[in-house]
Amino acid sequence: MINPLVINITYLMLTSALLLSFVRLAKGPSLPDRVVALELVATIVAGIVGTHAIDTGVASFLDIAIVLALTAFLAAIGFARFLERGGPRDD
Amino acid sequence: MIEWILSTFMIVGAALMLLAAIGIIRLPDLPTRMHASTKSGALGTSLIMIAVALAFMDTAVSARAFAIISFIILTAPVAAHVIGRAGYFVGVPLWEGTVKDALKESYDPETHQLHSGLEGKEPRKSVTYGVAESPATKDLEEPEPKKPE
Amino acid sequence: MIGFFWNVLLALAWAALSGNFSGLNFLFGFVLGYGALALLQRELPILHGYSQRVPRFFMFMGFFAKELLRANLKVAFDVLTPPWHMQPGVIALPIKAETDLEITMLANFISLTPGTLSLDVSTDRRVLFIHAMFLNDEEELLTELREIERRILEIMR
Repeated sequence: MINPLVINITYLMLTSALLLSFVRLAKGPSLPDRVVALELVATIVAGIVGTHAIDTGVASFLDIAIVLALTAFLAAIGFARFLERGGPRDD
Repeated sequence: MIEWILSTFMIVGAALMLLAAIGIIRLPDLPTRMHASTKSGALGTSLIMIAVALAFMDTAVSARAFAIISFIILTAPVAAHVIGRAGYFVGVPLWEGTVKDALKESYDPETHQLHSGLEGKEPRKSVTYGVAESPATKDLEEPEPKKPE
Repeated sequence: MIGFFWNVLLALAWAALSGNFSGLNFLFGFVLGYGALALLQRELPILHGYSQRVPRFFMFMGFFAKELLRANLKVAFDVLTPPWHMQPGVIALPIKAETDLEITMLANFISLTPGTLSLDVSTDRRVLFIHAMFLNDEEELLTELREIERRILEIMR
């Protein structure tokens, strides 16, 4: 089985990445900045789910990563529509 | 042997995501932040999912890992484009070190038209790039020239 | 595109007929189907050029992976070291892609290469506006982007 040290280092890096992107999410000066941070949070959580699946040996966790990847994309599209709302650009 | 490859993939993937997070904190304006976050983040998740597929060595799990990779690779550039365009047109300021802005000159805020600067020039010819002209692709291209505005 | 779907269908048929859905057998069916379509493409106009397109696709994947790694390292270096070496800016790239699908593929691949991000297409769809992170040499960047475009159009057409 895989070395627990590798798993722990991966967890450490991913959680610090999560922390940093939460900082940007909290302080981001404009709404698009926060949306970018939210997108990154979803991607990092998908990575954490993958690592956890390797760690525990339960493959069912991967379904969560699939759902997360899809909903994060939909959220980004929704936010962009919301930001551009009001102009006659209908493309 | 496979354990080494797997560990490398995991560490490199996590490092890429950490890089994306550092980039999103350090970089000065919205488009440059998106450069760091979307691409490094997508690549990092893909590497970790490859590690998952290697760790389980099972067809069903590999298929799911592959599905996640293709979702992320397909959706990341679209989301980046959509947010970047919305941010640009909403008026998020660019960094003061920005050397050039070709979009600003050609965007007309009154009509919301985006000029290419090529209007009135000759209509473009169908370009074949050295590929042998095949009848299948020839039928698909529209022959009528673009009208100058 | 049609040719690829036919090829997958033939591979599925091979897997079903031989009663073995493992990945290796599917791959074998794909190779057999590719051979059959390569023989057929002279007769069917819709399959024209399919057998040349598949190797080009794999070459493009290799080229793209190389570009991705090189540009990722460049961005990583600039993010991690304190002074900014970057000179960001928005440039206009005149494109030769015409249909919606071609423009979408081109914009996506340009967005996936670190250092470039496609922002918008002009109203008459002849120019793609790209945010680039390293504008130290605009001509060189445009040449690289045209190389990517040439390779994508070789596959799509």
